[in-house]
Amino acid sequence: MTMADEDLKLDHLFADARRDRPTLSNDLVVRIQTDAEAVRLEALNPKTPPRRNVWARFFETIGGWQGFGGLVAASAAGVWIGFAAPTFLPDPANLLTSQDTSYLVADLGFDTSFLENTE
Amino acid sequence: MEDLTSHPQDVRGVDVAANDLSDDMLLRRFADGDAGVARVLTDRLGPRSFSVALRMLGNRAEAEDVTQDAMMRLWQMAPEWVPGTAKVSTWLYRVTLNLCVDIRRKKKPDSLSDVPEPEDGKASVVDRLQDEARKDALQLALAELPERQRQAVVLRHIEELPNPEIAGIMGISVEAVESLTARGKRSLAAILADRRDELGYDDG
Repeated sequence: MTMADEDLKLDHLFADARRDRPTLSNDLVVRIQTDAEAVRLEALNPKTPPRRNVWARFFETIGGWQGFGGLVAASAAGVWIGFAAPTFLPDPANLLTSQDTSYLVADLGFDTSFLENTE
Repeated sequence: MEDLTSHPQDVRGVDVAANDLSDDMLLRRFADGDAGVARVLTDRLGPRSFSVALRMLGNRAEAEDVTQDAMMRLWQMAPEWVPGTAKVSTWLYRVTLNLCVDIRRKKKPDSLSDVPEPEDGKASVVDRLQDEARKDALQLALAELPERQRQAVVLRHIEELPNPEIAGIMGISVEAVESLTARGKRSLAAILADRRDELGYDDG
């Protein structure tokens, strides 16, 4: 058999192969359709919710309305104590505005005699 | 290109208008949530992927897995597809070939592993091979070709794709495709001639 005969034979085999095209089994078609439907539904109803704005996420972080209520109550109490402190608490305004620094230096517990010598 | 796969009997109960749409349009409609077009795309593109996978792997179960995987990637890629940039079938052929290469790499050595061992007292391996060879001499000869030659030959002579499209699928020049198919065809003819001597059959 010559090479030309082999080529002819090969062309016949190719022609046979083109004629006997394999078809998809029903099982494979079902598998492919199941995948397609899963992908389609996933695209329509994504599992991960879209990112909400920063305030919505902050609100969620502090515990929703309950957490927000607690935060408001604590803030109101703080403001109230600032205006009308109970008698058993030191007045913070006095601590901040006190002009007598000798108390503060003496409270440190160091020898302060060098301060007197410089006068 | 001639559509070799969309026979009327393949399309069971599907929206007839969808059959007239291009692959591009069908993919767009799928991405938009149209459930019906998946079946049209499957009937149109699935057999092409399967035909190539079967010729590349020579194993039906593996070829079915490859086709399912390739189609899965098609569904997932749908929202990003830009119509008019390339043919959907070109993309699918490329994905299919890559999946086939992956499978063949994983299961090396691949020589004749798909031929089941004969049971005791049944036909010998040689008899069985001879039988297989008679059934599909082309498939056995294809299995002996280097990967790239086999890809080019299958796409050119069985899928009947034009060389520029094969070049696009394989990511090489048209000249390289011509060279691969010519060498592949010469090798196939030589393999078939050898086999004919070895296995002692004259008719095909």
